[in-house]
Amino acid sequence: MAQENRRSFIKTVGVGMGAVATSGLWLNKLFANTVQPVGEGVFGFTKEDIQKLLGIALSKGGEFSELYFENKISSSVNMSEEIIKSSSESISLGVGIRVIKGDQTGYAYTNELTFDKIKHAALTAAAIASGPSKMSVANLNEIKPKVQTYDMVSPLTQARLQDKIKLLKEGYDAAKNADPKITKISASIADEIQRITIANSEGLLVSDVRPQARLRVTATAEKDSKLGTGSGNAGGRIGADFYMNVETPTEIGKKAAKEALALLEAENAPAGEFPVILSKDQSGVMIHEAVGHPLEADANRKKQSIMWDKMGTMVSSPLLTIYDDATIPNYRGSLNIDDEGTQVEKTMLIEKGKLVGFLNDKLSAKILNHKENGHGRRQSYKSPPIPRMNNTVLAPGDTPPEEMIASVKKGFYAVTYQGGMVNNAGDFTFSVNLGYLIENGKLTRPLRNATLIGSNVQILKRVDMVGNDMGFFLGTCGKAGQSVPVTAGTPSLRISKMTVGGV
Amino acid sequence: MSNNNLLKTAEDLVKYGKSKGADQVQVSIGEGSSFTVECLNQSIENLTEAGSRSLSLKVILDNKVATASSSDLSPEALHQLTDNAIERAKLTSSDPFAGLPDNDAIQVDIDSLKLFDPKILELTPEHKIAMAKEVEAIAVKGKNVKSSNGSYYGTNIGRTIIANSNGFSGDYKHSVCYNGVGLQSGKGDKIYEDGWYESSLNVAGLMGTQEIAEKAIHVVTRMLNAKKIKTQVVPIVFEPKMTSMLLRFLSSCINGRSIYMKQSWLIDMIGKEIAGKDINITDDPTIVGAKGSRPFDGEGVPGKKMPIIENGILKNYILSTYSAKKLGMKSTGGASGSSNFYMAAGSHSQEEIIKSVDKGLLLTSTIGQGTVPTTGDISKGAYGIWIENGELTYPVSEVTFTGNLASMLKNISMIGNDLKFDRAVAGPTIKIDGMSISGL
Repeated sequence: MAQENRRSFIKTVGVGMGAVATSGLWLNKLFANTVQPVGEGVFGFTKEDIQKLLGIALSKGGEFSELYFENKISSSVNMSEEIIKSSSESISLGVGIRVIKGDQTGYAYTNELTFDKIKHAALTAAAIASGPSKMSVANLNEIKPKVQTYDMVSPLTQARLQDKIKLLKEGYDAAKNADPKITKISASIADEIQRITIANSEGLLVSDVRPQARLRVTATAEKDSKLGTGSGNAGGRIGADFYMNVETPTEIGKKAAKEALALLEAENAPAGEFPVILSKDQSGVMIHEAVGHPLEADANRKKQSIMWDKMGTMVSSPLLTIYDDATIPNYRGSLNIDDEGTQVEKTMLIEKGKLVGFLNDKLSAKILNHKENGHGRRQSYKSPPIPRMNNTVLAPGDTPPEEMIASVKKGFYAVTYQGGMVNNAGDFTFSVNLGYLIENGKLTRPLRNATLIGSNVQILKRVDMVGNDMGFFLGTCGKAGQSVPVTAGTPSLRISKMTVGGV
Repeated sequence: MSNNNLLKTAEDLVKYGKSKGADQVQVSIGEGSSFTVECLNQSIENLTEAGSRSLSLKVILDNKVATASSSDLSPEALHQLTDNAIERAKLTSSDPFAGLPDNDAIQVDIDSLKLFDPKILELTPEHKIAMAKEVEAIAVKGKNVKSSNGSYYGTNIGRTIIANSNGFSGDYKHSVCYNGVGLQSGKGDKIYEDGWYESSLNVAGLMGTQEIAEKAIHVVTRMLNAKKIKTQVVPIVFEPKMTSMLLRFLSSCINGRSIYMKQSWLIDMIGKEIAGKDINITDDPTIVGAKGSRPFDGEGVPGKKMPIIENGILKNYILSTYSAKKLGMKSTGGASGSSNFYMAAGSHSQEEIIKSVDKGLLLTSTIGQGTVPTTGDISKGAYGIWIENGELTYPVSEVTFTGNLASMLKNISMIGNDLKFDRAVAGPTIKIDGMSISGL
């Protein structure tokens, strides 16, 4: 339950995640040697049980019912102040039951997986409708996701704790050895395996097993009495070999140290309106806030988003083409199916400046008479699905980033972020952790903690250069009290004028 | 499973962990049930009702720590979880500062804190739905309100149980009910959204729908036709909600972990003057019926009323058992962070404070992250009302304010008399001089 209708993107993931399977017998069997779903039974229930429960959920006149079974095993190890301080394992297991009638949703969940408990929850959710049963449940037809976007060859969850500690130490040491001014370091490695099965009254029965991992290093640099804290992290729905082949813990640790050291020298940003260049590395936060959230279908079908009546019109500079694509392999927001069992796809949102699509969940697609496009997501079995982003991407243009910097006389260059936030009115902020001053076409002094603010209808039209480079930002997106993992990617961008919060 | 059985589950698991070789074991269980109804345009949009439980475990052997949690509370699952934790602990490093708290002799009279109101159990779903609809029905009738963003009513009841191998065993019940509505004003591309939300640990203390709706109408319509202003340095008047935002930032800077990890500008500052002489900030978990109250923290350590800033001097950090040991101090019962964390009221009415401002901003809400405990820097998107010659004039948006807590705490020039304990972190209206606003 969120008081405010604001959506945020936070780069820091909170407490981390798990490892060895420990739950009931059927779970031990499932996770004994494999992370692939086994064919027989759904979380210990037969197809007939599931069919019966879906029917009970419709018994008061609901039009659609759904069961969402979820088991998540997460683990993490933390190192700080030279020692491995602790490790954790977390197991969550439960089922959420949803009943829809018209645009009304009844929802209940339980973490006791017995037929009677689920039946009780199904009746609770069913009460959103009142009347005689109208719909029957279609015969369940088990399907397999059409894509495999995760690296399931060597999920980090299956790695031995000793091996995870080795990766962790490598990241920690890289930050420590980067400079004697680095005085405090903390590092964590977190992984999870989420197994879900979705069954609904339209006859869908589908399962997915999703890995997720992240290695993170935070470092504080100290000089005289000044302090600066920086961080680095990398991960996604990857295998353990990611940390050897794609981004090593050493690179992550160095990144953290580099940011901390730069912040040590950083000054306050100037205040006022300036040309702003968003560097490729983390500026995905900009399209996540300014484009992604305002195009989520729920706020548009309710006419709350500023974009609701702009379909087919120019909403940005013609230089911008933006899409959301869960099928990019191994990214943090990649999916095989969404949390309603819908096939994911590359969804075009803005084509050369023209608004062409919304991010739909099943309910919004039905009400708007749009096609479902795989964006119904939820934090866990405790929450109903809502339209969300997966991997949101702004396609690269043709300006070399150096040329962009050279074009600015006095301006602000944004490098790393704490996050961003947007409201339905389209007002958004990015909180820049580290930036640079641009003077006469060159990056000069490092700048710290500046908020950039704008309204999307204006700022999207002020993007006048799009880089030929590309960077991706791993984030955790918050909306309506639910957090989900996402990625956002952009090339470098120049915004002709934007307010920079400084002194 | 009855409540006594859950306490027994916790105590039994402590014994099991000890029997399997752990030197120290701590088990906590949270059990809760919740009901939420969300309405839009007088129709139910979502209705969620459920109960759930989860257990957390910490084992320590040879000063090596492992933690675990599970929503499956069957003995087999919990034993396996504990066995795994003990095995994992062996692979971590020995940490001389690790350890559970000594069993404190302080006894807190849990019932006198009034954290649980049995009347919440008597509220019917029909009543909750009616309240959600009612607050929306009143609010959308407000002058200049364009539409509803949705309203809601909810209740949570829960029980927290903690047992450890040092002999602590305790549990308490808590409850909350809440009611709120979100609104939009404006038209076309110039819309504004805001709302009002109230919560209370007891049914009788919850603000009525009429008053909530009026507050929602006030905050959303006062922002109609907001303008961007030019970049300048002026005093900012923080409404109580905004003072609360600043205090939340301060509380993250005095958290023990931030201190020993050197991620705070307040390292080694105990006993030093960090704010004006008239600034008093307190943390107090014992206020009857207040949202941050608790008989003990997440480690079973009871807290007491404690000065954080007294007459401008920093007096205490908020410490868990671990961070206290790291800093050579004593736990303040702060393993779960601050409790009721508030700035003492001053003598001025909000009106007087606004009157005192020649040119400045009444800050009404913010957007964005922009707080860095390491440096004390704060920078956020700002909404507010422009003050000219002591009068509120036009609304302001698309600007930011920037400052640093170190100087902001010293530049608080007026303190309001309007402190209310309506949230765990609370403060009165305050005026801070010399704030940077970025706009045009």
